[in-house]
Amino acid sequence: MATTNMLWKSAKILSIPVPIASNGRWGRIGCTFRIHQFEGSFFSNSLRSNCSSSSAISVWKGKEYLILSDEELMRQCEMDTFKASGPGGQHRNKRESAVRLKHIPTGITAQAVEDRSQHKNRASALARLRAQLALKVRNPVNLEDYSPPPELLQILPLKSTIRPPGCGPQIGPNNSKFLPGMQSLLDLIYTLDGSISDTAKYIGLTTGAVSRLILSDDSLRMAVNDIRISKGMKPLK
Amino acid sequence: MGSAVPLQLHSIGRGAMRLSISRAYLAAPHRVRPSRSICSSSSKPRIPLFLRPPNYSATLTDLQKWHDWAKTLSSSVGSSFVDADNGPDSALLHRELKWLVEDAVEDKSISSELRTNSEQNHEHNLRNVRLKVGIEELYRLWKQRIHERRPFQYIVGCEHWRDLILSVEGVLIPRPETEVLVDLVAEVVSDNEALREGFWVDLGTGSGAIAIAICRVLEGRGRVIATDLSPTALTVAGYNVQRYGLQELIELRQGSWYKPLRDVVGKLSGIISNPPYIPSDNIVGLQAEVGKHEPRVALDGGTNGMDELIHLCDEAAVMLKPGGFFAFETNGEDQSKYLVKYVEDNHRGRLCDLKIVSDFAGIPRFITGFLNEPL
Repeated sequence: MATTNMLWKSAKILSIPVPIASNGRWGRIGCTFRIHQFEGSFFSNSLRSNCSSSSAISVWKGKEYLILSDEELMRQCEMDTFKASGPGGQHRNKRESAVRLKHIPTGITAQAVEDRSQHKNRASALARLRAQLALKVRNPVNLEDYSPPPELLQILPLKSTIRPPGCGPQIGPNNSKFLPGMQSLLDLIYTLDGSISDTAKYIGLTTGAVSRLILSDDSLRMAVNDIRISKGMKPLK
Repeated sequence: MGSAVPLQLHSIGRGAMRLSISRAYLAAPHRVRPSRSICSSSSKPRIPLFLRPPNYSATLTDLQKWHDWAKTLSSSVGSSFVDADNGPDSALLHRELKWLVEDAVEDKSISSELRTNSEQNHEHNLRNVRLKVGIEELYRLWKQRIHERRPFQYIVGCEHWRDLILSVEGVLIPRPETEVLVDLVAEVVSDNEALREGFWVDLGTGSGAIAIAICRVLEGRGRVIATDLSPTALTVAGYNVQRYGLQELIELRQGSWYKPLRDVVGKLSGIISNPPYIPSDNIVGLQAEVGKHEPRVALDGGTNGMDELIHLCDEAAVMLKPGGFFAFETNGEDQSKYLVKYVEDNHRGRLCDLKIVSDFAGIPRFITGFLNEPL
């Protein structure tokens, strides 16, 4: 999806005070009239590659973002919608219901275009934003007396030696509770400079079992590999 | 289309929807007197495509042929509609084609097969695909879309709006902008729980979109009265209300704006409307999908577009109960500002806390306010 990424990166905030004559542009909620000029055909893109922002961001409040309610998280975001020029409302029938959210504290963006309703696209964009926050926002981990937080224990396979018996079944990538666990795991791997064998010791698993856990989710695998590459290590396959 | 089939589907749809609002149902007061029943009037709108039974079939090859033809037709549009009247471009039409396939086929995975299909597997392509509409009809529908500029929502018989899927046959197709009106109501009733109760009205309800969405926001505690002048609109709204199982909570009344509401003067908790607001002169230049196909009565707001809006504001001062809320959609910044000034000049001390709220695109789109509570 290289073309998609390029299209997204071509979207820049332009400080133009008036709407420009153009087939499409991003309009922003609120009355600021800052416009995201959009080059090329946005609607030809597909659902993969929905998020931008490159490297891990170190923010202390990273864990808090994930426990915010939808409304609270929304309040930290700017919302852009794709729209045509013109007066809108009853004048127009274009079914342009794409939504892009920018999380202001971190600059992470997520978008959704696939649904026919703006309302639903906003909900999917928000869900994607949560996943991105888990993947990209790193929190410091104190290795001295490390004990894995409950959200991390929940995503570990049952054979983990540090998993307490009352922890319930293993939570997989399709469950929304996977995200905070994934964030904690990435925090640990990041602190351990991408070493899978070191990570394994801290969470009571074999190196192979940690690898399998990481490879069970594509976005998690890519985030781990980003960390490993930035530390000069080989990516996991 | 046999007459028994729509009935059966109808009840399936209703059953499914009831589940999702069961909480609202439990909380429902059930103190509703039977309305002048327009819901159950004889004529029903056509069933939206996605709800029809898969009574047709075609080979994957034939469906692929149609799809290729439709795609080529859409591509041939290029930017000509955009240049003519700011209509859809090819990219948008391709997306609509994808949605049409989603609604027309029984097996959703066909949709992606059509896009990635290669002709390597001949046997595979002879397999039959179950369809909700005949293949000839698919050709006819897409010709209507491109050649007549018939709105996509009329082609598939529904519009996805907020979390609802609504029949929109012959009525104004609810716009994404209008979704915000419902958020405004949700905000107001969460600030003031008392407003959740009592009567809310949706004036000029059309498909019933606003009435249904608001009713769900009120969580079964309030009642909604939806009015419309057009019998077609009331039939469509009635169909949608039933599909969401809200006929006990939403009452439909025929008549112009507040006229059918004489029994609730001064009693309304809220008044919401997306009235026609396009200045008459602008109707001719509208995008063909809108100007040539949607009901003019739902679009044309008179010389300056504000005939109805001014009437709605004037009467709001009489119809609301103290503390009651109103929100109206407008044509944009000029109308919003004009209306705020108009209300300040003519209803000072009565209508208060006036606000202009922007839509998702940053265009000042709604005016909201309250009826003053006596000190």
